[in-house]
Amino acid sequence: MNEKQKKRSTGDSESERLKRPRPVKAFLDRLAARNLAHRTTTLSNGATIVRPFSWSLTNSLIILVIFLFFWDMIVGAYFDKYDFMIFVRRIPNFLNILQKMWTEFDWSYFDFVVDPMVDTIQMALLGTAIGAVFSLPVAFLASANIVKSKIVSGVVKTILSFVRTFPTLVYAAILAFIFGYGTLIGVLATAIFTFGILTKMLFEVIETLDLSSFVAIEATGASKGKAFITSVIPQIMGSFLSFTLYSIEINIRSSAILGYVGAGGVGIMLDENMNWRRYGNIGVILVVLFVSVLIIENISRYLRKKLS
Amino acid sequence: MIQFSHVSKIYPNGTVALKDVTLEIQQGEFVAIIGLSGAGKSTLIKLINKMTDVTEGSLIVNKSDVRRLQGAELRRFRRRIGIVFQSFNLINRTSVINNVLAARVADMNFFSTLLGLYSRDDKLLALESLDNVGILEKAYSRADQLSGGQQQRVALARTLAQKPSIILADEPVASLDPITANQIMKDFKRINVDHNITVIANMHHVDMALKYANRVIGINKGEIVFDGPSSQVNEDLLKKIYGREITDEDIMFKKTLGE
Ligand SMILES: Nc1ncnc2c1ncn2[C@@H]1O[C@H](COP(=O)(O)OP(=O)(O)O)[C@@H](O)[C@H]1O
Ligand SMILES: [Mg+2]
Repeated sequence: MNEKQKKRSTGDSESERLKRPRPVKAFLDRLAARNLAHRTTTLSNGATIVRPFSWSLTNSLIILVIFLFFWDMIVGAYFDKYDFMIFVRRIPNFLNILQKMWTEFDWSYFDFVVDPMVDTIQMALLGTAIGAVFSLPVAFLASANIVKSKIVSGVVKTILSFVRTFPTLVYAAILAFIFGYGTLIGVLATAIFTFGILTKMLFEVIETLDLSSFVAIEATGASKGKAFITSVIPQIMGSFLSFTLYSIEINIRSSAILGYVGAGGVGIMLDENMNWRRYGNIGVILVVLFVSVLIIENISRYLRKKLS
Repeated sequence: MIQFSHVSKIYPNGTVALKDVTLEIQQGEFVAIIGLSGAGKSTLIKLINKMTDVTEGSLIVNKSDVRRLQGAELRRFRRRIGIVFQSFNLINRTSVINNVLAARVADMNFFSTLLGLYSRDDKLLALESLDNVGILEKAYSRADQLSGGQQQRVALARTLAQKPSIILADEPVASLDPITANQIMKDFKRINVDHNITVIANMHHVDMALKYANRVIGINKGEIVFDGPSSQVNEDLLKKIYGREITDEDIMFKKTLGE
């Protein structure tokens, strides 16, 4: 038992704890008993049979309750109650800001939002494209069924999991630190992130592929690289395009925030207006962002459906 | 010319697939290899283009010492050897012509391959190869939408587009119906005669082997137990090769044998 849990239980003597009513446990016990009764069938000759447990709605609810119970124990042990109270007490502030976004909403700010929004979209699109281009050759190296050396594919996979550890925002922050501010940072950060996830999705597809045609092309005297281009790429092209479109959907959202660490786009404006308490402007930015994401997401979803 | 001398093949797990194989195949021969499943037929074929390595002995193919070949030299060597598989091994979701053109990438530079820039000559060669096996009109269909027999013809055309001196075939008609199988074997025969290309085919069905090959090599448990003209093959020899009586399983056209 750790320090905090001890503190929480001070004042309760052992006997007091035992006497204290335990509604959750009683409730769970009752549920379990009812569940067992519910699953038991008794035949006319007295024989009984218990239907095995299944993920019915009630069972799922019970599991959820148990989970929440333990979750409260764990979270309660590590977080101070006061944090939560601060959160609760400031909800009115939050509502206040929401209200100002609405009452001070001013469409004339729209003109200032258009260019940064275009920047944001461009960062996402260009970054996705660059990441996608690099993902194909690296997916080739990571596929254990193509590169027969377990060391090569293993090392490449390890590097890839490392690349995937960080979200776009972290890459943008690091790049901004090295290269200074600008949209290019956002493009690079998006490219690195996209590269990481796309490569993983691709090599997983390649590793389940039927490679008989690859073997046949290799047998004509073509190198592994050429055999990959002619026989594997046509087979994974559908998945590749679909994954790339999906990445665009993810990247549009994350690039909106990149301005906070200096990558340009609407993120900078969000930051500035927040500092100046111009909540009306933030309202405009959020509406533009919402509509842009909605449009791009729907185009992407439409294209992906056409692909499959 | 292909020369095996005292070749043995032992797989890493210790399986002895071939034992002390010595044989010589001249340019332009049509050889059928027969034997039970697991006898070592596929292994024999795979040794010729180094899809698997010789363990002992020497193997000379087209004047190259196969055991020494590697890297770029091995790839150059493989360009003149075509191989046809039982399961066709075509590229799915891709047109027939692109499947055939895939045989040309070994000769192309990397960027033309990447961009799919095939030369006029290569395209012409691919179409001629398709015409040679009688499916020119399917050139722009998707390969996976063809019947089994048509797919094997595409595979054969792909092999022809390599301009090979040798064609290896690993049970090329075992998964086809008898009528189609016969037609494909006729294609092999015609290519063998017209272009003087050596054909070495593993055959699951004895009757097909005897009908199309000039020479039959019988393998039993990794050893060559017969090597001679098809006309010499009789029931006793087959018993020796198969180690048992011939059953309906071993014959494609069930009534033809013994007629
Ligand atoms: N890659 C391999 N690793 C280990 N053993 C193998 C391998 N390929 C084939 N064998 C074994 O070698 C023997 C000959 O196989 P194969 O040449 O495929 O025979 P066939 O084509 O006549 O059926 C069999 O016992 C088979 O199990
Ligand atoms: Mg075999």
